[in-house]
Amino acid sequence: MQHAPAVHQAETSTGIDNRKLLMWLFLASECLFFGGLIGTYLLYRNRSEGPPFPTDTVYNGVPYSGVFDIPFTSISAFVLLMSSVSMVLALAAIQRNDKRGLRAWLLCTALLGMTFLAGQAFEFTEFYREGLTVHSNLFGTTFFVLTGFHGAHVSVGVLILLSLWVMALRGKISAKESLNVELAGLYWHFVDVVWIVIFTVVYLIQPT
Amino acid sequence: MAGAALAGRPVSMVEAVRRARQAAASYRGIWSWVATVDHKRIGMLYAVTAFTFFLIGGIEALIIRLQLAQPAGGLVDSDQYSRLFTMHGTTMVFLVVMPLSAAFFNLLIPLMIGARDVAFPRLNAFSYWVFLFGGLFMTASFFTGNPAGGFFQGKLGAPDAGWFGYAPLTLTKFSAGHGIDYWALGLIILGVSSMAGGFNFIVTIINMRAPGMTLFRMPVFVWMTLVTSFLIVLAMPIITVALFQLMFDRTFGANFFNVAEGGTPLLWQHMFWLFGHPEVYILVLPAMGIVSEVLPTFSRKPLFGYPFVVFSGTAIAFMSWGVWAHHMYTTGLGSVANAAFGVSTILIAVPTGVKIFNWMATLYGGSIKLNTSLLFAVGFIAMFTVGGLTGVTHSIVPSDYQQQDTYYIVAHFHQVLVGGALFGLFAGIYYWFPKFSGKLLNEKLGQAHFWLMMIGFNVTFQPMMILGLLGMPRRIQSYPDGMGWGLWNMVATVGALAIAVSIMVFMVNIVYSMIRGEKAGADPWDGRTLEWTIPSPPPAYNFAEIPQVRALDDFWHRKYAENESGVPVPVVAGGAYAEEPHGDGHGIHLPSPSFMPLIAAFGLPIIGFGFIYDYALVAAGAMITLFGLYAWALEPASE
Amino acid sequence: MTAPRFPFRLLALATLLLSVLVFSGCGAFDSAQNTFSPKGDVAALQRDMFVLVLIPATIICVLVFAALLYIVVRYRQREGDPLPKQIHGNDRLEVAWTILPIMLLVGLAVPTVQGIIELGQAPKASDLHVTVVASQWQWSFQYTDPEYALADGSPLISKELHMPVGRKVGFLLQSPDVIHSFWVPRLAGKLDVIPGRNNQLRFDAQEPGTYSGQCAEFCGIGHPAMRFTVIAQTEDDFQAWALEEMNAQAP
Repeated sequence: MQHAPAVHQAETSTGIDNRKLLMWLFLASECLFFGGLIGTYLLYRNRSEGPPFPTDTVYNGVPYSGVFDIPFTSISAFVLLMSSVSMVLALAAIQRNDKRGLRAWLLCTALLGMTFLAGQAFEFTEFYREGLTVHSNLFGTTFFVLTGFHGAHVSVGVLILLSLWVMALRGKISAKESLNVELAGLYWHFVDVVWIVIFTVVYLIQPT
Repeated sequence: MAGAALAGRPVSMVEAVRRARQAAASYRGIWSWVATVDHKRIGMLYAVTAFTFFLIGGIEALIIRLQLAQPAGGLVDSDQYSRLFTMHGTTMVFLVVMPLSAAFFNLLIPLMIGARDVAFPRLNAFSYWVFLFGGLFMTASFFTGNPAGGFFQGKLGAPDAGWFGYAPLTLTKFSAGHGIDYWALGLIILGVSSMAGGFNFIVTIINMRAPGMTLFRMPVFVWMTLVTSFLIVLAMPIITVALFQLMFDRTFGANFFNVAEGGTPLLWQHMFWLFGHPEVYILVLPAMGIVSEVLPTFSRKPLFGYPFVVFSGTAIAFMSWGVWAHHMYTTGLGSVANAAFGVSTILIAVPTGVKIFNWMATLYGGSIKLNTSLLFAVGFIAMFTVGGLTGVTHSIVPSDYQQQDTYYIVAHFHQVLVGGALFGLFAGIYYWFPKFSGKLLNEKLGQAHFWLMMIGFNVTFQPMMILGLLGMPRRIQSYPDGMGWGLWNMVATVGALAIAVSIMVFMVNIVYSMIRGEKAGADPWDGRTLEWTIPSPPPAYNFAEIPQVRALDDFWHRKYAENESGVPVPVVAGGAYAEEPHGDGHGIHLPSPSFMPLIAAFGLPIIGFGFIYDYALVAAGAMITLFGLYAWALEPASE
Repeated sequence: MTAPRFPFRLLALATLLLSVLVFSGCGAFDSAQNTFSPKGDVAALQRDMFVLVLIPATIICVLVFAALLYIVVRYRQREGDPLPKQIHGNDRLEVAWTILPIMLLVGLAVPTVQGIIELGQAPKASDLHVTVVASQWQWSFQYTDPEYALADGSPLISKELHMPVGRKVGFLLQSPDVIHSFWVPRLAGKLDVIPGRNNQLRFDAQEPGTYSGQCAEFCGIGHPAMRFTVIAQTEDDFQAWALEEMNAQAP
């Protein structure tokens, strides 16, 4: 009797697993999402009608010091970048059935992600103390909404990683299920790449 | 619930759910609908729900028309009127046409590509439940009252800033009350539904085609579904961003559209229309796909210029990204922008024309069966020609400076959305109803529906072109006497009533045919595509054997060979496919039903209510959704 | 079996009926906001451009309808009809009906761009300058040229728009609240009044008379009633009115 392909595996017309294709499509839509937020930030850059400002600015003849602390943010960006490295190592581990390696690198990635989030929390409270809020001016609005949504995405990623870690602790992930780790990895790398774009465009490149 | 107290023994939650899933797999009872992951059932759920919203949107339209029939119509006041036109537009676009298209995607795509279900059946169910809950959430706003009073005092809580909600009118300062919150949060929720569906159908079409079905052997409807799904997953994020920005302004005092702090209302318009223009092609491309299936079957010839029809549809989708600011010609963007978008808009008429000519060439030289389905398809061609041509008149930018925001525009988009999309969808209903119900729709009632609707539609909307040229703006609840508008408004209202009657005829037809309709076999129309090879209604597993596809219109070629003059000759052993399936479905694994998509979906409107009324609800809704998602991820897809 | 005769008479009757219906609407010729009865240069140009595209559009529409009707009647399925020849396509036709529309549309694009540029001119120094303030839900017109200033330097303000015939008026559009749209259909197409932006419009009236204007962007509950009157006068009458107003408003 015919045995129909069940939902999740095997013979697909392209050879790519359905779920992997789904993840790529999802990430494509996320590009549009973050594109809209970054575009808004860029449109409103330098159009705030008052302080606080990202970098040192003279506004209406009055000098203001900027809120950005580039060295600090560079370190937290580096932390997130390293978390992508540990993610790659986690996937490499489980693909050769190294379950201990998987657990270690998954936890490492999650911890680095949480460190990044802690850095964001610290940075934002500093800004808040200096008067930057979502309603203070255009800079506050566009900055917090953009980085806030990014932080939310990182948080979801951390949740996913910790869930995988717990499943790995219970021995539920072997080389056969490595696709789950790969999918989490795709998402995690995407979130990292978005941060690289934000860091470059929002923090590093300042119009003269 | 299923089996929980069987034999008097207490049963664990996990076991109870497992038994419920098994019971649901039997396809009997209400729970089998609640937990269904079968694309055919999900398609029917979409269809029935969308049609219900269609009736609601239609009633809103009738009240509008009754109000406008005379200069100082006293049926509704300006406040109520603004909520009616806002909800009419929002309902028809997001709760009717998009879900009706989704119904067709669901019912047909797996059958047309020779698959047993979509790539992600539970995600599919999730799309439907989110749509249902999102639609209910938004519609509930009617009853919540507004700052001026409660529902029973005639004060409606529905959104009131139009279906495209321009800032800064939508900010709290100018729109007190919660109407806009319901609108924005509701659309965000509905966006989740659409996107989930979009992802699902892209993966299904790309990855699950039967052996031998290359992309250029797929039916045009499948192509249009693929293209539409790409538009959905790329366009919806943009409006999602805009809606979040609006909600941040309203809820947290952000400054995205706050002019005092340097914000610009044009940001909203650019983002809305960057989504909005692809959206209108999302609305019409599936209907064009349906027409491309109906015409060949009832002309008994293949679609003329298949590659060109496919290519045009794809070209339209690409070009739709480059025309958005034609909705903004009168906002003062400047001559360069207006000229650029004028030219790009003028050019998008070309692929549409190509399709129309190819459809006409399909009919030409055919053996045309003038049944209801075909009449609606031909009606589509005629009405879309008018609608498309009025679109070209808008793209002649200086004349648009007069037409923008008048009834001339209202005429244009109803021409393409009703005379176009809706007619195409009706053609599809009359075409495929027999496949899924096993009964034919009554032809006499169908013809009555078509002619009443065709005449009623034209009587309603052609006068609006005149009204617009006579200077009647949109979105006005009343107008003075002596403007020359009274006669045409009255005529339009009469037409609207005719449309309403035609819909009633349609509903009678559906009910009558389900009960006493003539039985339809597997292939009542001598069709060309794979869905006609299986019984009507199809078994749960669709195909007993996954077909091997050798050509475009594979089924037709199994039935007929062409002689030297290109005339079809029945194949001796052909047609036998349609009679009995080879085998009865034993040994075929189907995805198991699941309650988790519904549970995950249920949390979303609760989060919505939470942002409006009490943040505790946000937490509660998030918990429900998270629970649903986790349980979904951890349960096996099939047992 | 002969093919049925093409129903020419039916078609002629339908066309006649339709024309009567349509053109009777134009009996509202002098109706206050009729875009087909322009009284200013800008509205006239816009009407002409509309007619320019209306003609080919109508011709195409009639041709398509006629063709459809012919095809559907001529190739209607009859008892015992054989299956038709299975034609898959014709590349030459495809090229033709892609290229020809492109040529027609490019033909329309050229005057379109020209019209955009001509209508996009900013107000000149020699124009009469009026600032239009659109707010929820009323209109106010400020005459900002120095010769119309009141004693304390503030501009002459009017609730009705007075214009001298034959002289271009440069409008500056301002809104303190939401988006409105400034529209006098018989004189010119509309331009939105957007808070935070300084949109500018330039048009004239060619004949004296009273014209009707209306807000054309939904702006809330008072939108349907947000109308205004435009009074186009000879230059002398306009000056007389302005003088009278300046005296009346003097502090």
